[in-house]
Amino acid sequence: MPPRRTDVDSGSDSDSFDESSKKAKGKTKAKEGAYAWEAKYTRSWDTVQEDEGGSLQGTVEGLIARRRRRRLLEPTAAVRRTIVRHLFLLIDLSDAMRERDLRPTRLDLTLQCARAFVTEWFDQNPLGQIGIGAMRGGLGDRIVEMTGNPQDVLTVLGERHRFEPSGEPSLQNALEMARSAMSHLPNHASREVLVIYSALTTVDPGDIMETLAACVRDRIRVSVVALAAEMRICRELCEKTGGTFSVAMNEGHFKDLLFELVPPPALRTGPKTDTRSSTSGADLMLMGFPTRLPASAPAALCSCHGAMRRAGFLCPRCRARLCDVPTDCPVCGIMVVSAPHLARSFHHLFPVKPYAAVYVELFSVYSLSDSRSSEQRCHACSVSFPTQTQQHQVQEGMSPFGRYRCPTCSHDFCPDCDVFVHDVLHTCPGCEN
Amino acid sequence: MNADRASHLSLILDLSPAQWHLSSAPSNPSPLSLETFLSHVLTFVNSHIASKPENTLAVFGALPGKSVLIHSSEIADADGSVDIPGDPNSYRPFKLVDSVIAQNIETEIGGLYLADEEPPVALVGALTKALCHINRTYQTSAERSSTTQNSDAVPEPRILILSVSPDLSASYIPIMNSIFSAQKLKVTIDICKVFGPDTVFLQQVSHLTGGSYIHLEQRDALLQFLIMSFLSPPFMREVLAVPKQDKVDFRAACFCHKNIVDIAFVCSVCLSIFCSPVPVCTTCRTKFPIKSLQRLQSARPFQTGGPSGIANGVSTPANGSPKPRPATAS
Repeated sequence: MPPRRTDVDSGSDSDSFDESSKKAKGKTKAKEGAYAWEAKYTRSWDTVQEDEGGSLQGTVEGLIARRRRRRLLEPTAAVRRTIVRHLFLLIDLSDAMRERDLRPTRLDLTLQCARAFVTEWFDQNPLGQIGIGAMRGGLGDRIVEMTGNPQDVLTVLGERHRFEPSGEPSLQNALEMARSAMSHLPNHASREVLVIYSALTTVDPGDIMETLAACVRDRIRVSVVALAAEMRICRELCEKTGGTFSVAMNEGHFKDLLFELVPPPALRTGPKTDTRSSTSGADLMLMGFPTRLPASAPAALCSCHGAMRRAGFLCPRCRARLCDVPTDCPVCGIMVVSAPHLARSFHHLFPVKPYAAVYVELFSVYSLSDSRSSEQRCHACSVSFPTQTQQHQVQEGMSPFGRYRCPTCSHDFCPDCDVFVHDVLHTCPGCEN
Repeated sequence: MNADRASHLSLILDLSPAQWHLSSAPSNPSPLSLETFLSHVLTFVNSHIASKPENTLAVFGALPGKSVLIHSSEIADADGSVDIPGDPNSYRPFKLVDSVIAQNIETEIGGLYLADEEPPVALVGALTKALCHINRTYQTSAERSSTTQNSDAVPEPRILILSVSPDLSASYIPIMNSIFSAQKLKVTIDICKVFGPDTVFLQQVSHLTGGSYIHLEQRDALLQFLIMSFLSPPFMREVLAVPKQDKVDFRAACFCHKNIVDIAFVCSVCLSIFCSPVPVCTTCRTKFPIKSLQRLQSARPFQTGGPSGIANGVSTPANGSPKPRPATAS
């Protein structure tokens, strides 16, 4: 149950929206239970306990174990995820962004987090594209066109003068703008809008419910991260389009909320897809893998800018010179990606099975009789397992012997390698032999 | 980055008996046997340890079907109890490392089963183990000591792979995963291709991690190449003219036949790569519309390879019996 903030300070803005947001408060409360302040107060420092020696080691290991358990709950079967993503980031640039309740100001924090978000997003979704729009003066303002180049986006996000807040935001205008920017995309591409909303009002020229219906029709997934408080229309937008709605409590929480939106969402098999002949617009795409030319190659005109370039990439089909990948070849139109771009998404598709904690002391019998003395050590990093057991702090999901066994290759791994294999490497060192 | 920083070298030796047999065959332009190779490598290893007292070393062996840690300076007892006869003419630490490495390699190769068909070399296993080892010994300790000491005390890690086996397209995904982990750990991976044709994946590995890839032409000069190109730590390479590879092949392996392809068909749902249009994705069981199958079938390029010359591939006639393009490692 994520704690939420509601519009406690919206009493001062006496406009028409105040009523609907109050209604929202009542409704969601009935539906989803108590707000954070209504829940029983838990002191966070009480959950951290020292052991006899006054060390926090046990608690820290408990936290790691909790992370392990959370991973065990995740489905290990291959999940269908949208890989070719298109995201339109709508940033509220109304006067409310000047508020200083989030340090240094809401706007500076937003830009700072947006930069980190864009970097991480392109890291995990290398085939995706991002566009940026702003909401100010009652208008939707397109700041960056949809692009697959993270540098373009980051450069603009670094230019502070292009993000000067003014006036009131218009949710409807901005959504319509984002919708038109993504109208040309093929079926298999996902369309997402991420709204960072700071104001408690929206100034719309027409019926926003029509825009909402249009977004549902176009299968645009709208997610809103609110900086101030929950608004009914925002929540409804997210719920109807399959996005997520969240309210940031503080600076760190805001960043966490943004980063939750980085991994590609599981593919929706909603009722809206049955109008399409195929299953959710899946299709085969023709892609080319280019050859990279070194800086010492003979200079030639690139086909994208018409500039003389030495380094670059060769389109595998028409041998046109390209400046950067991924891109569509301007000559033959094939989608040119480098193999690592595709491969970055593979770990979403082929996850490593979670390792099972070893509870039983069978291993010692095995490893003594076994000629493979290496089982005395972690199979990955070859560091010896602890000889004495730590019975006093055994929690669920934690092995008292510090051993975690892969279900496929039945090799043992230490906790450090377990976390590393599942969080970073995504390949089991034992199964690869 | 300061110049005083020690460096850690994880050396991965490709110990495929079949490939080394081919390499030492006298019909080769410059035959290189495993014994000569090892003596060169041991000299290189010694010079790595000698160049700075804090330098650390780990040696992994990739054998057919398994990968082993041969030697690590972090894990002292990994060497086992090796009796080294006193030799007044040799420096004891070098002698120790040399005999441990030689002895362990001998045991591992001697323990191999004599099968008719050699299983593929577990290069990826060795690579992932090296990464885990670096993560455990250096990254984790760097995190823990970051509050108390400066991070310069932790050696700068790098990996050198001495490869003799051809590309294993089955291990494409794990290799890619290793690349991204190495990037996250800021580990440079250097490749020296001692024998055999260029490998596309290892080229990508070294390119993406900022290492260098050298295809050895004069193989009796192995030691010179090793010392000139791979002895210097990454921060020193900026001032030295270390040979870099000129062309990088960004081709991928298809999931259906494990061929290396330059134009492929990719499932939009799971990004599986196929060398010919398929009606159903084998990975995620997505059915593709018939219409796009026909369209793509007609858009297939010629199977001859090289530049087709025709900019618009749509006009190419459909090939009646689509054959996967053979894996060519150029």
